Amino acid sequence: MNNRIREFRARYNLTQEDLAKKVNVRRETIVFLEKNKYNPSLKLAYDIARVFESRIEEIFIFD
Amino acid sequence: MKKTVVLFIIGALVLITTGFWIFSGSSQVETAELVSLVVIVLVVAFALFVGYKRLTSVKKGEPAEDEMSKKIMQKTSSLSYYISLYLWLAIMYFSDKSNFETHTIIGAGILGMAVIFAVCWLVYNFRGVRNE
Repeated sequence: MNNRIREFRARYNLTQEDLAKKVNVRRETIVFLEKNKYNPSLKLAYDIARVFESRIEEIFIFD
Repeated sequence: MKKTVVLFIIGALVLITTGFWIFSGSSQVETAELVSLVVIVLVVAFALFVGYKRLTSVKKGEPAEDEMSKKIMQKTSSLSYYISLYLWLAIMYFSDKSNFETHTIIGAGILGMAVIFAVCWLVYNFRGVRNE
């Protein structure tokens, strides 16, 4: 599974730390997500999509 | 936060107990004891590192544990348990062929388990958990 978190973060001018605080995870988790080293839970994917005011499938791309 | 404090207390207790064990015995420290001491210090350093990471996360306003760190712990626990079974199997095999005392063998097994856990944790932290 790929994602466009880095792209959306840049669009919303958010740092990894900002996003981590908004979705209540550690910054490390955002780093792992951006490197595609971790697949988020549905709740985390939903929270991230809500921060970026987008649909989950716009941010997370299922291969 | 409580978990982190407990982690630091356990680390300190392990170090103090090891200190008593090493320095209350004979005046000369044997090589095997020295190796055990180094391994114990490394394991405690690993525990303190995990505790420090949790503390810095809390200071930044992030949770001490989140879904990824819990997942890493879960995966680490299952893998290290699996590998530890083989470690004990190897210890059982080699204990018949050597003349070490029982408490030395059990101590080595426990230390080995701790080392396996730390290595598995490092592997998952570098490799990540993708659930694929």
